[in-house]
Amino acid sequence: MTVTTDTTFTVRQDRRLIRPNSHSERFLLARVAAPRATSERQRTPVNLAIVLDRSGSMSGEKLRVAKSAVEEAIARLQPDDRFSVVVYDDKIDIVIESTTASQESRRAAVDRLREIEARGSTNLGEGWLRGCEQIARHLVDGGVNRCLLLTDGLANVGITDADELAHHATELRARGVSTSTFGVGNDFDEHLLQAIADAGGGHFYYIADAPQIRDAITSEVGETLEVVARDVALEITARDDIRVEAISPYRVSGAGNRTFVHLGELVSEQVLEVVLRLSFPYGLLDRETGAIVALTDRDGVFSAIGAAPTEPVRLTWAYADDRANDAQPRDREVDRAVARLFAARARQEAVGRNRNGDFSGARHVLAATAKRIRAYASGDAELRDLVDAMVQEEQVFSAPMVEPARKSAHYAAANLLRSRDSQGRSVRRA
Amino acid sequence: MPHDDRYSLTELADLGGVTPRTIRYYLAQGLLPAVGQSGPGAKYDEGHLARLRLIRRLQAEHLPLAEIRRRLDELSEGDIRDLAGASEPSVPGDSALEYLREVLSGPPTMKAQRFPDPRVRVPPPMRALAVSDVPVAASRYEPGSVPEFSPPGVADAPAPYASPPIVPPSFLPSMPAADPSPMERSQWDRIALSPDIELHIRRPLGRAQQKQVDRLVAIARELLEEERP
Repeated sequence: MTVTTDTTFTVRQDRRLIRPNSHSERFLLARVAAPRATSERQRTPVNLAIVLDRSGSMSGEKLRVAKSAVEEAIARLQPDDRFSVVVYDDKIDIVIESTTASQESRRAAVDRLREIEARGSTNLGEGWLRGCEQIARHLVDGGVNRCLLLTDGLANVGITDADELAHHATELRARGVSTSTFGVGNDFDEHLLQAIADAGGGHFYYIADAPQIRDAITSEVGETLEVVARDVALEITARDDIRVEAISPYRVSGAGNRTFVHLGELVSEQVLEVVLRLSFPYGLLDRETGAIVALTDRDGVFSAIGAAPTEPVRLTWAYADDRANDAQPRDREVDRAVARLFAARARQEAVGRNRNGDFSGARHVLAATAKRIRAYASGDAELRDLVDAMVQEEQVFSAPMVEPARKSAHYAAANLLRSRDSQGRSVRRA
Repeated sequence: MPHDDRYSLTELADLGGVTPRTIRYYLAQGLLPAVGQSGPGAKYDEGHLARLRLIRRLQAEHLPLAEIRRRLDELSEGDIRDLAGASEPSVPGDSALEYLREVLSGPPTMKAQRFPDPRVRVPPPMRALAVSDVPVAASRYEPGSVPEFSPPGVADAPAPYASPPIVPPSFLPSMPAADPSPMERSQWDRIALSPDIELHIRRPLGRAQQKQVDRLVAIARELLEEERP
């Protein structure tokens, strides 16, 4: 049942039999573990733009902590790296134009940062794009080119539409510039920031209180310094009539009978779990069908001769009668991963409904998902615990929640969906 | 590629998205190289798969088989592999800087190109079946000929939602009343939720509504397709 190539890349099937007379759906759990980074000296160069919101609401502790976090981040760079700092309200200031991280330029940056004060409204879109522009002027081929966007509010000047901003993030990502986002406090739009980060190939961080700004920025910059594989993707080859979807929230693209699930960058020893759903066509009894799942990346780290060679995993499913289907064994590891993901999605949905005042809807979403998990949980303790937890949460989500509770619940689910820990950090190999 | 990555005829057909019969035909036509052992025990390798994928791509460009064979003959195994693998969405021609300059100098009202959420597989609109490019007031697609609430004299009222809503209103809590405007041209799109259930949507939709529809589709698909074990 479990197909293992080596410890770096495994793909497991929840079940191996499918039904000839209905559209069976089966799940795959792919687990990817990145190799350990070699010495610090050989790491991928980074090219950062840090974009800070300096609108009025950022005044006081938020801006102060953000500035010192930027100072710390810059201090970790090496002379081969590049950085720039942009601040925005309704106007955009390039505080530090893209420069190599020499000692002088880092010192000058600290002086410039200290002069920044809060004022005005929020042109998040242009601030971010100007930061990307600083990166793009000196794009480091083979490096990590990333914009870090920090805000505590809504985009209310310039480009404010979430779809449009996410679209630009996608386009910039395709051209080598990625974006991570940091939302501070209660008043930012996590859907906007999550969408930019997802489309932009970076990460989203929710920062409830100003003091945590430092941890989030430090963690993100630290991770960009530890990237070991870029543009990592799962490549699933299956017949045209098998539909392949990612349940995990990664960008999916298709080409012929191949589906690519784009996982972005992996950092040293990062572990990522991806759940896929395959929908099968009707078929003839006893006939087999199959798929091949391969791991690819831009630099060939996972290729046959790369630092962490992986082999494609071949999987088969057999058409069998209903009795055999009903009696077949299940891989509980896959069931649990699938259940966790659907639970996380239900929680995010419930948060949204709670915010809109649709309390019965919030309860219903959780109850329906819990019911579905219960149907296949049978004796599995972990699945039953999950169901119990969701039943408890129905109470919480079906009454008005305070905004920090909503944002925390959304963020916890978002991290779970993307194999990240409760602070938004990558999960690493134990 | 590992040596043991060899496919049976059926596997090769599955992975190439063709029937075994097609493969036999390609072998006979010399489009695919012959293998040492014939019959059911014959094994095919990655080279065959790459070649098969390339043939399908060239066929999709409506090239005749003779032309495809001519082209394949001019290519090395490596070329074929590269070309067969080149179908991943390519890197855009302009640089990040050029892109940003265009965006940053563009008119402030520039709209993003609509792009579907890749996680929700929405089939392309079935234009042949949609009432396309017809003013809304003149023609309204009626699923199962639901009678329309159009009392005489108010036919030209700006009421895109005068007809019974297709989805229960509880799903769409804050639907703006006048979007799209009745003057806009519109069309009905059909989204298959399952083999038996379709959702009909009149486009264009506002952004908020599009999001709601995307959500609705995702939820509906999950509800309908999740197989209960």
